[in-house]
Amino acid sequence: MAEVVVQVAPAWALLAALLTATVALGGAGLDGVLAARLGGRPARAGAATPITETARLLRQRRRTTLAADKPLWRIGVGGLGVVALLMVAVVPLGRWTLLDLPVGVVWFNAMDVMVWALVWLAGWGPNAVHSLVGGYRFLAQALAYELPLMFALTAPAVAAESLRLADVVAAQQGLWFVVWMPVAFGVYCLSVVGFSVWGPLAPAAGADIAGGVLSELSGPDRLLLLAGRYALLTAGAAFAVPMFLGGGAGPLLPGWAWVLIKTLLLVAALVAVRRRLPSLRPDRFVEVGWLVLLPAVLLQVLIVAVVAVMGG
Amino acid sequence: MGLRQWLVRRAVSGAHVLVVEAPGAWQVRVAAERAVTRRGWRLARSPADADVLIVCGHPGPQLTEVLDRVWDQLPGPRARVVALAVGEVGGALDQARSWLLDDPQQRDEAAQRPLSPAELEDTDGEGDADGDDHGDMDHGDMDMSGPGGIALAMGGDDRDGLAMDVLHLPLGPVLPHWPPGLVLHCALQGDVITEAQVEVLDSTDDPTDDPTADPTATQHAARRCDAAVDLLALAGWDALVVEARLMRDRLLAEDTDQAAPLHRLRDRVARSRTLRWSLRGLGRADSGGDTYDRLLDLLADEPTSSHSGRDYVETLPQLVTGLDLAAARLVVASLAPMRLRPAAAPSGGGHG
Repeated sequence: MAEVVVQVAPAWALLAALLTATVALGGAGLDGVLAARLGGRPARAGAATPITETARLLRQRRRTTLAADKPLWRIGVGGLGVVALLMVAVVPLGRWTLLDLPVGVVWFNAMDVMVWALVWLAGWGPNAVHSLVGGYRFLAQALAYELPLMFALTAPAVAAESLRLADVVAAQQGLWFVVWMPVAFGVYCLSVVGFSVWGPLAPAAGADIAGGVLSELSGPDRLLLLAGRYALLTAGAAFAVPMFLGGGAGPLLPGWAWVLIKTLLLVAALVAVRRRLPSLRPDRFVEVGWLVLLPAVLLQVLIVAVVAVMGG
Repeated sequence: MGLRQWLVRRAVSGAHVLVVEAPGAWQVRVAAERAVTRRGWRLARSPADADVLIVCGHPGPQLTEVLDRVWDQLPGPRARVVALAVGEVGGALDQARSWLLDDPQQRDEAAQRPLSPAELEDTDGEGDADGDDHGDMDHGDMDMSGPGGIALAMGGDDRDGLAMDVLHLPLGPVLPHWPPGLVLHCALQGDVITEAQVEVLDSTDDPTDDPTADPTATQHAARRCDAAVDLLALAGWDALVVEARLMRDRLLAEDTDQAAPLHRLRDRVARSRTLRWSLRGLGRADSGGDTYDRLLDLLADEPTSSHSGRDYVETLPQLVTGLDLAAARLVVASLAPMRLRPAAAPSGGGHG
């Protein structure tokens, strides 16, 4: 399956957006099912949660607060989905890609750093205490996961000797990177949970600060932020496919189908961990980030580098 | 019109409800939470998130005033209902549902409401300065020249000796997982509490949250389970929160041996290393024991706590000063046993 990746016309971005939205919706539906089962309600009602919630928020009035910084607030709230789409743009779907960048890995990293600004702006905008505390909590959490994430992204790039995603996929013909870089993959998944403000890494929207960055949002604004979170989760999962999971490699089905299937499975796994663990509070998580994750992933990169040099 | 109606019905089928408990009405609040989740509705975390405001029990004059301001913060379509007793919860929620479904009425009301909180303030007299849950900022003698007429923050030395702005924030009384009727007036620097003062709204002489002790041992066990729910929810362990709520409801229905559910919950809590890592060392009291110990104690057969409500009011500011908001919330929730009185008299064969 040594395929050449072709860059397609920009108009296909619409399809990419549609696919991302569909997978994100699937993730939200699965989350609804899991929540319903946990609470002893029928799973079918749970599956409709994203539709119900969308209808509710579309009907709800948009709300403002006193002296809110509306432009920055809206940029923060609406930006998450945009960043997710920009992440997806570099992911090859089998043979096709929207953006065949020679520095695709760095592009993804730049996009995930944008999330820092966006979540903070969403917290800053309403001029409210809990919201702002949520925004700053995200920054503290990001300080903990960002460096480990950068090195986790470095490992596949070192092994492939390229920052182009097509090359990274091609380098996994024999063996998927997830098999011999499990630490990098684990740290990467944790970081996806982190920048999606998700599950144990969602203290920025925690119950202890009345929902944090979500606390003052209503109506369509809230919908955008919630959808943006699922879109980021989807984009993070989609990017893991060319980086660690062999891209479109797989039996019988065409490459694009495998990319979708792997993305869906990873999204499902990330959704499933949501309620399983208590929150990792940023002030404690930062210790883990710097004292455990960072050394572990550096060691991983060292091993990968040695293997790459010996092999080369 | 068909689409509009479909949208309205869909929207109402997943309404979010802000449940407010007046002191003494915890069983009504619990019944409301149960009824909300049974309908497939959800509990709101803030007024902005809510479609329905349900007030459980009789709020006093001070709490009523706060509730009016919270009501202003519901984005709408919205419904406000009252349930005075457990039996009234279902009817109140049905009423809320039919109001939410009444689209023309909701549109009329929306048309009459001011669009921004500034206009609201003009008519109201008092500002909702920080747009917070009940944002009753202490304006005092501060300079009111800030944006939107909000007082500018004054500086002060923080715990590291740096000059930082001081913000006055009242925590409560309308805040999920917060003791009913309690307001903690905090001075914040960043998100660290540098000063705290307790106020009990509508208090008579008794600073405990609940004028009536729980009559039976099983009910007291349910009450402790409920306190654990608050702490677990603040710790962000959503799966266990759902399970603990179900256990609490079973205990209240008295269709179970009183100790068994608490034991199971305690085992789950004790087994989680993440939770221990998260709660260890928080709010260590002079008498020994931190937030984690207090959670386990809460779920033990015989809680060791022998404090009174008055200790609670005195201990609280001392324990939360110097903590960040998250830690302070956890500590406040962990002190629940000090508010709760044990069962009035041992009834039947039960113990506790």
